[in-house]
Amino acid sequence: MKKGAGIFNLIKRIAFNLMIIFILVYLLFPFYWAVNSSLKTESQLFMTPATAVPRDPVTLEFSPTFQNYTTVLQDGQFLRGLANSTIVATSTTVLALVAGSFAAFALGKLRFRGRKPALYLILAMTMFPQVTVLTGLYAVITALGLSARISMIFSYMIFTLPFTTWVLTAFFKELPDALMESAQVDGATPFQTFRRILLPLTAPALVTTGLLAFIAAWNEYLFALTFTSIDPAARTVPVAIAYFTGAVARQEPFGEIMAAATLVTVPLVVLVLIFQRRIVAGLTAGAVKG
Amino acid sequence: MAGKNDLDSSKKSKAPPKMGFSDLAKREERLALRLLLPALLIILLIAFYPLAQVFYTSFTDRVFASGEETNFIGFDNYRRLLSVHVTELEPVLDETTGQQLTDPDSGEKVFERPLDILPREPVRYRELNQFNLFGKRYVIGATDTNFIESVQNTLTFTVISVFIELVLGLVIALVVNSKFRFRGSMRAAMLVPWAVITVVSARMWEWMLAPSRIGMFNALFDRLGIIESPIAFLASGGYQLSALIAVDVWKTTPFMALLILAGLQIMPEDIFEAAEIDGAGKIRQFFMITLPLLKPAIAVALIFRTLDALRVFDIFQVMLGQSTYSMASYNYFQLIGNRNMGLASAIGVIIFILIFVFAVSYIRMLGVDEE
Repeated sequence: MKKGAGIFNLIKRIAFNLMIIFILVYLLFPFYWAVNSSLKTESQLFMTPATAVPRDPVTLEFSPTFQNYTTVLQDGQFLRGLANSTIVATSTTVLALVAGSFAAFALGKLRFRGRKPALYLILAMTMFPQVTVLTGLYAVITALGLSARISMIFSYMIFTLPFTTWVLTAFFKELPDALMESAQVDGATPFQTFRRILLPLTAPALVTTGLLAFIAAWNEYLFALTFTSIDPAARTVPVAIAYFTGAVARQEPFGEIMAAATLVTVPLVVLVLIFQRRIVAGLTAGAVKG
Repeated sequence: MAGKNDLDSSKKSKAPPKMGFSDLAKREERLALRLLLPALLIILLIAFYPLAQVFYTSFTDRVFASGEETNFIGFDNYRRLLSVHVTELEPVLDETTGQQLTDPDSGEKVFERPLDILPREPVRYRELNQFNLFGKRYVIGATDTNFIESVQNTLTFTVISVFIELVLGLVIALVVNSKFRFRGSMRAAMLVPWAVITVVSARMWEWMLAPSRIGMFNALFDRLGIIESPIAFLASGGYQLSALIAVDVWKTTPFMALLILAGLQIMPEDIFEAAEIDGAGKIRQFFMITLPLLKPAIAVALIFRTLDALRVFDIFQVMLGQSTYSMASYNYFQLIGNRNMGLASAIGVIIFILIFVFAVSYIRMLGVDEE
């Protein structure tokens, strides 16, 4: 009997691990292919059949090149793009999280007239395709005389603010009302309740929402392309990459694009890995014990 | 509104003894407005004018980036986009026998040419599709077949990809939520597809799907002996939509998975302990506890994924160019390519309405806005 259970558990563990490996391969393989392509020269890229690692076209020996990386890193546009993207995406995320969590506290936990219209109004803001609002947005930005970076931060609110507001509203609503009531009885102001109870208890949702919003802002292309057209120094990474020109005229520098993609993605993921625990821990620190 | 009364009474009971009910309700209302203020200000500042302008422009013939005079033309843009006409195709009869002619090459029966019978006034209708019903042949014509097709493409794309993303996202979130050693790294790895810049990811997939063996998929399939000759995945026809769905599923499943995972993480553990004691099996626990508690997280994830999918632009634009449109990439083509800003705005409004219908039905179905 016991032995049977042991074997059953073993099978379960193997199946579970296989599942994890399968998921990892599915999620990471295309990215691996980007890394692989970034280590190839132009002629290696066009080898048939495509090789799973960079190989010499003649001898078929393993021969990666770092030329694409040096080219990308020597390109001032790319590094400036990294700085711009970091500023824009971080500011966007902070603004969207602060304004979004305030609004979500009201929408999820307070009773007031006009709650539903407010929810729909905020969502409606993001129901148009970006192309459609582009001209109107451009007019607003010119009228207000905003700089390219500030325009990007504000225009990204169009897709990040509804997202943070709705997700946090849903998560706040899930928390039992009793928590807030007991805090009120203890004499906490509503804002203290928000800071000390709602935020810590929804920390994982807050971090996830922030991350998803950050990356959405980080990846945005169309607005960035339009608003930086008069100020090339403010170009973000996606725009900088789009402006890559190959060594050979008219030929697209595919290896460089892939090298840039690798250079942008890997640090982002490593940072997430380092920070996610700290952020969650930091947020949870002030929480009341349920 | 029914909820309002018992709401008020419950509020009375939780009010501190000395404070009147209306006083407290007013304070709560004021606080709510103060909290909403930043978000509302941002909407007013950044979204109000562009959205109002889109609605207004959709009723005009405004030309993009030009000084030409703009005229108010009512619903003409909408009429041009949405006019659809269904009519029966008469069989072509042999003059001597009175039998329907058959095409000598294909062996198919011959009908009238759709172009001859579809209306030409006020705008020419083009053939969209033909179908048979009760032994008769009908033709569907539209004044803007590209747009109607882009709506079909986008809806198919949205329904299939969002459904697969939901299922995959749920599975991945459940796996990652169980305790194992590399859980933290796994969660970071999950971000990779979402973190690859969208435009670049589209180029990457385009390369992998290249129509010869320089593409990863054709090289792999060839090695495995699955295919005789390379497949042109992105050429017009068969595989276009499937390829784009595969790309989108890869790219955005992490979005779904991470939101669902956050939902799993804030679940109180004692519920599961209680269920365990009650002898509920894992599967029963999943359907009776996990899924209902996950509903809000799933609902918002679904709403935002659907919204994004209905506005899909990058991958259609980069991977398919002008050969097949999504609603948003057709919108882009009309605005930038044809400089027809009035028509482009009307497309934007139609997309808005479609998204609104989807959003409201999700919200109703999943009960998101219930008190």
